[in-house]
Amino acid sequence: MSVSAIEHRAALGGKAPLISTGVTLRTLPEGHVLHLLSASADSDVSATISAVLGCDALTKRSVSPGQWFVVGDEPLSAAALADIVKKVKPHAEVVDQSHGRVRIAIAGAKATSVLAKGTAADLALNVFPVGHATTTLIGHIATHITRVSEDGFELMVLRGFAESLWEELAELSVEFR
Amino acid sequence: MASLIPCPHCGQRPREEFTVKGAALVRPAADAGRNAWLDYVYLRDNPRGRYDEHWHHTSGCRRWLVVTRDTATHEIEGARDTAARTETVE
Amino acid sequence: MTSYRLDKGGLIDRSKPLSFTFDGKGMIGVEGDSLASALLANGQMLLGRSFKYHRPRGVISAGASEPNALMTVAQGGRTEPNTRATMQELYEGLVAQSQNRWPSLNIDISSLNSLLSPFLSAGFYYKTFMWPAGLWERLYEPLIRRAAGLGKATYEADPDRYEKCWAHCDLLIVGGGATGLAAALTAGRAGARVILVDENAMIGGGLLSETATIGGVSAVEFAGRTVAELESLPNVQVLSRTTAFGWYDGNVFGAVERVQKHASEPRPEVPVERLWRIVAKQAILAAGAEERPLIFGGNDIPGVMMASAMRAYLNRYGVAPGKSVAVFTTNDSGYTLARDLEKAGLRLVAIVDSRRSGATAGVYEGSARIINGGFVPDAEGGKALSSITILQDGRKEKLAVDSLAMSGGFSPVVHLAYHRGGRPEWSDAEATFVAPEDHKGLSLAGAAAKASGLAGCLEAGARKAEALLGKLEIKADPAAFGAVEGDIVAAPTKPVWIIPGIKGKAFVDFQNDVHHRDIGLAVREGYGHVELAKRYTTNGMATDQGKLSNVNAIGLLAEARGVSPADVGTTTFRPFYTPVSFGALAGTSHGKHFQPVRKSPLHDWAVKNGATFVETGLWYRSAWFPLAGEKTWRESVDREAKNVRRNAGLCDVSMLGKIEITGKDAAEFLDRVYCNAFRKLPVGKARYGLMLREDGFIFDDGTTSRLEDERFFMTTTTAYAAGVMNHLEFCAQALWPELDVRLASVTDQWAQMAIAGPKSRLILQRIVDQDISNEAFPFLGAKDVSLFGGKLSGRLFRISFSGELAYELAVPAGYGEAAADALMEAGNEHGICAYGVEALSVLRIEKGHVTHNEINGTVVPTDLGFGKMVSATKVDFIGKRLLEREGLNDPNRLQLVGVVPLDSGTSFRSGAHVLEKGAEATLENDQGYISSSCYSPHVGSTIGLALVKRGSSRHGEEVQVWNGLLNEFTAARLCHPIFVDPANEKLKG
Repeated sequence: MSVSAIEHRAALGGKAPLISTGVTLRTLPEGHVLHLLSASADSDVSATISAVLGCDALTKRSVSPGQWFVVGDEPLSAAALADIVKKVKPHAEVVDQSHGRVRIAIAGAKATSVLAKGTAADLALNVFPVGHATTTLIGHIATHITRVSEDGFELMVLRGFAESLWEELAELSVEFR
Repeated sequence: MASLIPCPHCGQRPREEFTVKGAALVRPAADAGRNAWLDYVYLRDNPRGRYDEHWHHTSGCRRWLVVTRDTATHEIEGARDTAARTETVE
Repeated sequence: MTSYRLDKGGLIDRSKPLSFTFDGKGMIGVEGDSLASALLANGQMLLGRSFKYHRPRGVISAGASEPNALMTVAQGGRTEPNTRATMQELYEGLVAQSQNRWPSLNIDISSLNSLLSPFLSAGFYYKTFMWPAGLWERLYEPLIRRAAGLGKATYEADPDRYEKCWAHCDLLIVGGGATGLAAALTAGRAGARVILVDENAMIGGGLLSETATIGGVSAVEFAGRTVAELESLPNVQVLSRTTAFGWYDGNVFGAVERVQKHASEPRPEVPVERLWRIVAKQAILAAGAEERPLIFGGNDIPGVMMASAMRAYLNRYGVAPGKSVAVFTTNDSGYTLARDLEKAGLRLVAIVDSRRSGATAGVYEGSARIINGGFVPDAEGGKALSSITILQDGRKEKLAVDSLAMSGGFSPVVHLAYHRGGRPEWSDAEATFVAPEDHKGLSLAGAAAKASGLAGCLEAGARKAEALLGKLEIKADPAAFGAVEGDIVAAPTKPVWIIPGIKGKAFVDFQNDVHHRDIGLAVREGYGHVELAKRYTTNGMATDQGKLSNVNAIGLLAEARGVSPADVGTTTFRPFYTPVSFGALAGTSHGKHFQPVRKSPLHDWAVKNGATFVETGLWYRSAWFPLAGEKTWRESVDREAKNVRRNAGLCDVSMLGKIEITGKDAAEFLDRVYCNAFRKLPVGKARYGLMLREDGFIFDDGTTSRLEDERFFMTTTTAYAAGVMNHLEFCAQALWPELDVRLASVTDQWAQMAIAGPKSRLILQRIVDQDISNEAFPFLGAKDVSLFGGKLSGRLFRISFSGELAYELAVPAGYGEAAADALMEAGNEHGICAYGVEALSVLRIEKGHVTHNEINGTVVPTDLGFGKMVSATKVDFIGKRLLEREGLNDPNRLQLVGVVPLDSGTSFRSGAHVLEKGAEATLENDQGYISSSCYSPHVGSTIGLALVKRGSSRHGEEVQVWNGLLNEFTAARLCHPIFVDPANEKLKG
C-alpha cells in the first residue's frame, strides 16, 4: 500500500509548556530511549559501555543494577540502532523503548518542591546530584527521575501513563504559577 | 501513613513502592520429597520477632530483596538484594 | 454585652477589627485573636452544650486540648464541624455555629438529660440498649445519634485544594516553645537540615503568654528574634500552623499544615491544608506539658478555666477572664497567673492553695487573700459561673466570682513518643507519667521531659540538639541565651485527684461527660482495668483523645482501687494526636486525580471510531463501536462479532502485557516458568504457554514467540501483566540467579492490534511488505516485518483468539494510530470494522478460549483440557511437584464444558450454578458453575462456558442452570466447549 506519510503521534502531542518563575514543565521530543541490560552489575561493565558508546551520565542513566537507559532527543535510524546494538552486544542486550517511554522536563527553583509532593525520594542536591537517576513513585505513577541540572529534572514514564503524569504535575505546580 | 524500606540500591523508600511476597524461603530441589514441597508452599513459622521476607521494589529498581523485619515492632534490621549483588544495608 | 478586651497588652492588633458571627450574632474581634479569645472578649462565655447531659459549656483551654469549645466553622462545602475555637484563628467574615443544642444554645431541650442523669451513668449504652436486640438499628441508634451528635458534616463537596508532600531532615523539632527554639537554633547554626513544626500560627509556644525576660528582652521578643534568625538560615524550614500528629515506622512523622484555614478567601491555587510526611534522621519532641484540671463539682461551668489558659488569654490575647477572679491551685504555677492578673489590674478575690504550707517562699508577693490547705469542692452557676464554695479545715464559705482558674499540676505531652509502642511510667517524684528521654530516633526535651522553668527548657533544648547531631557526626555548639528573669519555676507537688466534699457533678472527661462517680462505678462493676474503664466510661474516647482527662482518670482509678497510678498504667497512645481532615489525607487523589488513567497508543484511534470505553484496571479499553441507528450495546456487539466471522475486524490489544526476554539462558528460563516446553521452539514461531503457580494451579496464559535464538517476546493477559512481570523477576533474581536471563517490560513500546476474519490476510498484505501467504507465513508464525514499503517495521504474529484466520500486528506505539488508520482504509473494501472487548469476548467464548474467568485460581491444566500440554519430561518447572497431587488429578474435578439453553429464547448468566435435571438447589447437588456467558450470534442463543464435575465426559447431558439471586431455573444442555469450527480449520487456512 502506498501511503504518503506514516505520521508519528507523540503521547503528549499538543501539550504546551507550562512556564512560570517558580517551575516550568515541558514535554521532550520522543527521540530514543534504549534499555540496556547487562548480565552483570559490575561498575567496570558500566564504564566499558559508556566508553564504547561515548556517553556521559546524562545520556546513559542508571535504572537498576546492570541496567541503564541511553537517552537522546533524536530518533534513531534502523542503521544507527543496529550500530549501537553491535557495539554494546558483548556487554549488554539492547531493548528499544523509544516509544514505550515518554520524557517530561521539569525545572526551576520550585521543581524540587513540586516533585516532593509526589515522591518520597530525597532530592536534595547533595544527596541527589546532577546525573543521578532513580525510579520512584510520583503519586501513583512509577517514574524514572534524572537530575539534569541544579534545578532541573527529566522524568521518564510509561507511555500509557504520560498524560496522567503530566496532568498530575500540572496540578501539583499550580501554586507556583 | 508511612513506613520505609531501606532498598540497598535506592535508599529508604516508602512501602507503597514495594510488593511483599512473604517468607524468604529456599525453593526445594526438584526431586525433594513431597513434604519439603508442601512445607515450602504452605507452611509458615509465623514467628514473633525477626523474620526474613521477600520484598520487590516494584516501583523502583525492580529488584527482589530479602528484608529482615521484626514482626512485632516493624523495625527493619536490614535489606539485601536476593541475588546478593550488594551487601545488607541498615 | 460587656467587652472583656483589655485596653493594652497582648499580641493582637486593636487597630485591625475583624467581624464574625456566632450563631448568627455579629461580633467584632481583632487581628491576632483566636475564635475563642474573640468570643471571650465579646463576653460570650457560653459556647456549646455537652455531649451527653447537654450542660452549658465555655472554653477551658487555650490550645489543642480543648474539649468544650467545639463549633462548626464556615459554610457550604467548607463547613467544618468540631473545630476547636481555641485553635481556629479569627478571620474577617468567619461564621461559627455552636453544636449539640436544639432549638438554641440558650434553650436546649435535651438538657433535661441532666435530670435523667441517674440513668445515663457509665455503661448506660450497654445496659439500657441491650434488649430487645431488634430495636437497636430501628430505634436506639437513630435516637442516640440525634441526641448525642457532635457537629454535622456537610454533604457538599469541599471546594478547596489539599496536598501531600514529603520532606527530609537531619533533625525534626516538634514544638516551637523555649525548648524547641533553642534546639532549632543550635542545630540550624551548625548547618544541619532542620525542620521545626509548631501547631500555632505564631511560633513561641508558652513564651507568647510569658511575662519573664530572657537575656534582657521580653520572652515574646526573644521568640520573634529567634524565629527570624531560623527563617534566615537556608538549611532550616520553619512550619507554623503545623501539627505533628503521628510517629511512624522508619522515623517518619506525619504532620498537617493548615496553610489557609485562617483565610477569609483561600487563594485557589494554594492548598488549604498540606499533609507532610517528614523523614527525620533524628527528632526532638518539645511539646511541653499539659496542665491538669481539678475535679470538683461544677468544674465545667462556663467561667472555669485552666490557669495556664487564663494566662494566655490575659497576656497573649489581652482578654480579661472576668470581673472577679479566683485561683484554685495545688502548686506554685497558679501564682504566676495571680501575679499577672493583679498586674493587669483585675480583681483577684482569692488564691485557694490545697497545700497547707502554701506557696514556696519568694514565689508570690502580691496582696490577694490566700487560703492555704483550702479546696473548692463546688462551683455554682448555670450558663455562667456565679460563685464558688471554699472548704478549709471543715469550714465552708461561698465566694462570689465569675471566673475561676484551676491548676492541678502538669503532665508532659509524650503522646507522640508512644505511637510505635510502649507506655510511659508513673513517677512519684514528678507526680506524673514520664517517658524516658531517648527513644530510637526520637528524644524528648524540655517540659515534655519534665524540665521546669524557662532557663531549664532553653538549656535542655540546646543540649539535646547538640547530642543528637553528634550521633549524625554534625558538630554543634549549644546556643546560649543569657539570664532568665521573672520566671516562677514550679516544683512538682503531690497530685490531688479528688476534692473532698463534692456535691455536684465533677467532670473528669469534659467532652464525653464522664464524671468522677462514673469512674468509681466502673471499678465497682469490675471494669477497673485502665483499658476496660476507658471503654466502660468512654473516658478519653472523644475527639480530644482525653488530653485533659486521661491522667486524672488514672488517678481516680488508682484511688478507687487503692493502688498507685503506677499499677494502673496508661491506655495505648495512637495516632492521630489531633483530628486530621479527610481532605488532607486524600491530598490531590480525588475526582479525576483519584487514580491515574492508562491510555493505549490506539486510544485516539478508538475515540475517532466512536468507541464506548470501559475501565479495566487503570486502562480505558474500547468496549464496542456503536454505529448510527444502533440502539443497544448488544446490537453493536452482535454486528461486530458477526462481521469478524464474515469479513474482518480490528481490535486494540495493546494492553496485553508484553515482555522481552533475552540472555543466553532465555529458553531454559521459559522452560522453567511455563509448564509446557519452549526450549525447542523454532525461531520465527509463536507458542501458547501455560504458567502455573508453585501450588500447581494455573497462574496465567499467553503466547511467547522466538524472534532470535536468544530473544523471546512474551504476551500476558492484561489483568496479570504486572503480576507476571513481578513473578518472572522473582524467578530470575531469587530462584535462579545463575541463569543469564534479562527481562524488559515492553508493554508500552508497542501498539498491538488483532486483525481477525477471513479477509484479514488480504487486508494485511496491503501494508506488509513481505509475503504473508499461508505457505510463507503459516499459523503460529512470528516475525519482524517491514511495512508501508519500508517506512516502518513491526512484528507480526499469526495467532487467533477468535478462531478465525487472524493476526496480531505490533508497531512502535507512536505509529500505532497511523497503522490502524491505514488498516481500516485498506480494509474498507473488504468490510473491516473496529471491534471492542465485548465482541472479542463473544468470539472467544464461541471458540471455547479461556480467560481469567476460567483461570480463576482453582483450575489446573487438565480441568481445561490442557493436560497433554504439561511436560512429562522436564526435570523442573514452577508448579510441577504439587501438580502431581492426587486431588489435582481427581476425575471428579470440575472440568471445562460448554452450555446452551434448551430453548434458545431463554438464557443464563455467569455465576449461575449447574444442577442435574430435576435436582433441588442444594450445596450437595451442586455440579459446578457458569464461568463465562454471552449471546452468540453464531449459535443464535445464549451460550456459556462452565466448570462442571466430570464435565468433559458429560457432553449432551440435560441439566438445569440455577440463578440463586433470582431463584431462576433454565433448562440447558452440556456440550463441547468449542461452538465454532471445532476442527480448527479456519484459523489454519
